[in-house]
Amino acid sequence: MSAALAIEAKGLFKSFDGKPAVRGVDIAVPEGSIYGVLGPNGAGKTTTLRMLLGIIEPDRGERTLLGNSRPLEMARVVGYLPEERGLYPAMKTREAIAFMGALRGLPLDIGRKRGEILLQQNGLGDYIDKPIKSLSKGMAQTIQLFGTIVHKPKLIVLDEPFSGLDAINQGRLEHMIRDEAAAGTTVIFSTHVIHHAERLCERIAIIAGGEVRFEGLVKEARERLRPQVCLKTRAADGKWRSALPRDARLEDDHWTFELPGTGIEPLLKALLDGGAGIEELSVERRGLHDAFVAIAGETAAREMEADEAMGDGG
Amino acid sequence: MRLWESAWVIARRDFVAQVFSRFFILFLLAPVVLFGFMIFFSLSTDAQDRTASQPVVAVVSDSTTYNALSQTRSRLVGSMSEQSFPTLRYVDPGEDVRAQAQALLADETGNFSGVFSGTLDQPVLTGPVRSSDFVGRRMQLLIEESRRTAALEGARASPAPLRLERVVTTQASGSVANLRRALGQGAQALIFSITLMLATLALSTLVEEKSNKIIEVLAASVPLESIFLGKLIAMLGISLVGLALWGAMLATAVTLFYNLFSDWVSLPSVSPGVGWLAFVPLLLLYYTTNFMLLAALFLGIGAQATSIREIQTVSMPVVLMQLMILLLAMTVVNGQGGAMVWFAYLFPLSSPMAMIALASKSSLLWPHLLALAWQALWVVIMVRLSSRLFRRTVFKSSSSGSLFRLNFWKKPASG
Repeated sequence: MSAALAIEAKGLFKSFDGKPAVRGVDIAVPEGSIYGVLGPNGAGKTTTLRMLLGIIEPDRGERTLLGNSRPLEMARVVGYLPEERGLYPAMKTREAIAFMGALRGLPLDIGRKRGEILLQQNGLGDYIDKPIKSLSKGMAQTIQLFGTIVHKPKLIVLDEPFSGLDAINQGRLEHMIRDEAAAGTTVIFSTHVIHHAERLCERIAIIAGGEVRFEGLVKEARERLRPQVCLKTRAADGKWRSALPRDARLEDDHWTFELPGTGIEPLLKALLDGGAGIEELSVERRGLHDAFVAIAGETAAREMEADEAMGDGG
Repeated sequence: MRLWESAWVIARRDFVAQVFSRFFILFLLAPVVLFGFMIFFSLSTDAQDRTASQPVVAVVSDSTTYNALSQTRSRLVGSMSEQSFPTLRYVDPGEDVRAQAQALLADETGNFSGVFSGTLDQPVLTGPVRSSDFVGRRMQLLIEESRRTAALEGARASPAPLRLERVVTTQASGSVANLRRALGQGAQALIFSITLMLATLALSTLVEEKSNKIIEVLAASVPLESIFLGKLIAMLGISLVGLALWGAMLATAVTLFYNLFSDWVSLPSVSPGVGWLAFVPLLLLYYTTNFMLLAALFLGIGAQATSIREIQTVSMPVVLMQLMILLLAMTVVNGQGGAMVWFAYLFPLSSPMAMIALASKSSLLWPHLLALAWQALWVVIMVRLSSRLFRRTVFKSSSSGSLFRLNFWKKPASG
């Protein structure tokens, strides 16, 4: 990989009470990219992020954060939104944002000014002097997110950032992540919702059972599966059927099957020569969900779907 | 100095949150109210106790004998104290005085400790004999003095009035040692009581961060040592606000009292061994190190707790531990030397209170410089130990290097 790395981890290993939580995680996050860590609850995503940030030390393995092997020394240029959100309930919103900035070395007065701007830009201007305890859960989460970015970090780490947000706020968050990346900030986030990663990320790591099953470009993950062919014919049967792979499935008059390794042209020729009478034919690249199922396995995919349905983090 | 910068951010937040909380006024007033009640009740119950515990002797005799005894008592009480002699109460003699004496002693409403009967020349004292025999000895003195007075009056002789020549000095070594001992004990009591009041605060201070789940944000942003140090500084600041207020109130009360009663009361003139100029800053410094040492320990213990209930459970052993430390430090006040006294000086948790007692007794200053450096080193060790324990048990993190590696003081790498 030629681009400079914001995060690099090799062979991270961590166990709790003798039970391995993360087993040999390798991750490489290029600077300025949006990187997703996908996996079901309990896969080891949070533990991995905590090790990358230096909140906990790995039992084995190495990691560098913005080129430094002591991640906490880079805390001033890092923003972190943990999975378990937390703010001081009695603190006012602007103060909370400024306080989180101050923890990262931003002077309080600048933090207050930036906090006020962030609140006003996002339609929360009326809540500037309201205590956190008077806000809804989603609003409090948004305040914490502002606190994560108020000091203009070079790297933003978000653990399950979409969890607990409604659709509008999820859209706002996606927008914000894209804006930050466009400004050159590296963003890494964990999620069990595949479509967030699919829409936002250039690169992903798929974690299941404490292991990285895939690490690379989203495109590469999808290309691990052959494109899907969807075919509707006028003829119900004929010589053309021998051109279809054995595992082709007929669903609602449509045949679906993986594009054979020989490519589209021989298939098309066989269908035409065999008198299939093509009514509809589409060749679609497979989605990340299918890639996830293929890479992480059916069980992990089912767990992800269950987590998504429950709307919790992991 | 990222450690101090981060600690300051944490300290400022904690200090403001505590001081501007509506409950802070209760924190400030509680000791004042408690102290006021203690003084009021001790004074009132003391007076009541003294009256209630004063032995009463029934005088079953002719009025001349009673008057003689009563006048002698009044005269002696004038130069001693009301408590120095039993109270005398006249009772008309009956036909059988012995039986009457037994009846008076048995009568619970009379509450007599003894019964005097007969005359000054043939006195009889009926009643139990306690180990000190206060009633017997004092009644004998009263009778002898009354007889002497009667004899002198009979001879129409009176001794020439005595003129005691007084040479007034400012000090006597015996009284100075006692006053300095009292000063040392007072300083220890002051340090102990304020630290004791703040022990629960130190124990519970991290529970808020854990229950609000903000601890992870803090731990990801600053070194854990900064969090611990910041919380200690905030608590120290809070206690100093309290100290300033309580000190001002006490000084006002003492000044007012002295101004009102200066004709009757004189404040003892005593100077601590190191002199007041060094003693007051040393008291403040030892209070600070004592507070930081104990609070760091309690913060570490409290950080392991997950709920207020667990904090309450651990509070009692913590108070007992503080009492043991006080008892150890008190050996310096009362003892002359020996292994126990040296242990009290060197043991980090008792060292501040032991050293302030030394400051009240001895004029040497250099031991205090050594002691303060020693205690400061232990504050660093305690903070480091507590934060490492927290990281290990709460975050279940592996070791992050040597206990004495203080490279978190380094500036962050650029980039």
